[in-house]
Amino acid sequence: MTTDVGLTDVRTQGPPKRRRTRAQRDRLFAYGMLTPTLAAVGLLMAYPIYIAINLSFRGGEIADLQNLGQYPLTLGNYVDVITDPKLLGDIWRSIVYTVGVVVPAFAIGLGLALLLNKTFPGKRIVRPLALLPWAVPGVAVAAAFSWMLDGSFGVINYLLRSVGLIDANVAWLANADTAMTAVIIPTVWKFYPFFTLVLVAALQAIPSDQYEAARIDGAGPWQQFRYVTWPALRAPSALAIVITGVGVFREFDFIFPLTGGGPDDATTTLAVRIYNEAFEYFTFGASAAIGVVTMVIAGALLLAAGRSVREGMN
Amino acid sequence: MSTLTRKRTPQQWGLLAISIAVLTVLLFPVYWMVMTSVVPSRELLTSSPPLVPPADSASFDAYGEVLESRPIGLWLWNSTLVTLGTALISIVISTLGGYSLSRFRTKAQQAMGFTLLFSRMLPGTLLIIPVFVIFASAGMINNLWSVILVNVAATVPFTTWLMKGFVDGIPSEIEEAAMIDGCGRLRTLWQVIVPLLRPGLATTFTYACILAWGDFLFARTLMPNPSDWTITVGIASFIGEFSVDWSGLMAAGIMSMVPMLILFVFLEPFLVKGMASGSVKG
Repeated sequence: MTTDVGLTDVRTQGPPKRRRTRAQRDRLFAYGMLTPTLAAVGLLMAYPIYIAINLSFRGGEIADLQNLGQYPLTLGNYVDVITDPKLLGDIWRSIVYTVGVVVPAFAIGLGLALLLNKTFPGKRIVRPLALLPWAVPGVAVAAAFSWMLDGSFGVINYLLRSVGLIDANVAWLANADTAMTAVIIPTVWKFYPFFTLVLVAALQAIPSDQYEAARIDGAGPWQQFRYVTWPALRAPSALAIVITGVGVFREFDFIFPLTGGGPDDATTTLAVRIYNEAFEYFTFGASAAIGVVTMVIAGALLLAAGRSVREGMN
Repeated sequence: MSTLTRKRTPQQWGLLAISIAVLTVLLFPVYWMVMTSVVPSRELLTSSPPLVPPADSASFDAYGEVLESRPIGLWLWNSTLVTLGTALISIVISTLGGYSLSRFRTKAQQAMGFTLLFSRMLPGTLLIIPVFVIFASAGMINNLWSVILVNVAATVPFTTWLMKGFVDGIPSEIEEAAMIDGCGRLRTLWQVIVPLLRPGLATTFTYACILAWGDFLFARTLMPNPSDWTITVGIASFIGEFSVDWSGLMAAGIMSMVPMLILFVFLEPFLVKGMASGSVKG
């Protein structure tokens, strides 16, 4: 009797019930495995953002960062920051720096990827060498370029003088007109390999019979690029441009060691301003407010690029 | 012989020539660092420096001098600890997370792509104030673990996404078969999936190493004590000096590059494959 009841139980309620618990167990497992990731992101990203936002609304002379509650809540930092005419300059310089880095880095990266997608002797050695700057620490890159761009003894001045492009030495990093170019060049050098890496991978995914078909249809090299290569590169390019772009927008490691934001604020981007407000002038509230403004701007740019990113990620 | 001549057309030698020309320009900064490090400072401080090391005065003295005058060895060791710690923790976390994102449809999955990009756009200079506060209240300033943890947090969103791409490339029938054979989920992951993920693990490891080794901002903020500096903080400390010893600085720069270059040359083939099957595909 009891077994009978048990059997009907299993037949009528058992299977759906068992499936539900299996699904629940799966979900538990899925989130369990994800917990370390979420903890890392939450503890060291979400919580710091919360503190930064909290800080940006605090007035007074903030000295005790561990007990923010004692300082009055205010919008003063935002009013100061937004009405400060310097802010527009910082935003503009951040955009100039970002575009100035991403465009040449993408062009070099694409050119190299097309080259490395061909077959030629020695390619196995050429490829890691071409990608090598990616592995060099940003600070070492900054050190190398601060020497190469040196106003008196830098080799770049020497080479440019030798070929007759300039008559007298240029103090690249100390001159407000050239400083931005001087910090862009090392950043491009560090970032182009990422584009090459992504684009080489995308090129390898193009089936070679597509090129054959195009050749049979009489397509020349340009038309092959236009109708076979480029369509395959568009989505990964867009994603790589956005990832690099948002990264460069808040980049700090090149500008700070090279110029510290000078001369005369010529290389002060938002990232550098945030740092200087906090660690040179100790105006933490203003620093955090600029940081929040920066996040909002970057977020807006990200949303504007949203469609191409979604295409690239799927 | 015949296959060789058939394979190597004049056009291919032309491509090699182009590659060499391009590499000459692109790698000039590295060449110039090496060149500077082996030429004595006084010969460099002229308006027309030698473009190749003069045979009679080239030497590796600058390396010895900089190793004596600064604790480069110690800084390199600190960097190594931070880098290995970050890479190993990141690998474990992102393998678990990537597997979960690939195999289970949860709300977290959709949020993760956004989190990845969001984490990229956060200004590090904004985060370091709160991060400093957190580690100060935990009494972890001048503690290598604080730098490791921050670097893990900075790496994990991207590497998790990368690992998800690699797990996507493994058919789920493989683990279903293992589970039917009575293998638990975690054991299946460890014994069946992880061995197949080797290219992904190599990619994640390389990426995390390069990021952690290159970190300057977090280490600079969380490690005020010079004997706890990493190599990047150490190098940055002599860029701004009144009279820079360029030979010594370049020698230190090269010593900071070499470990990553070795790692990179070994793992680079995985990297291209990894990107192809990983997150950034068309």
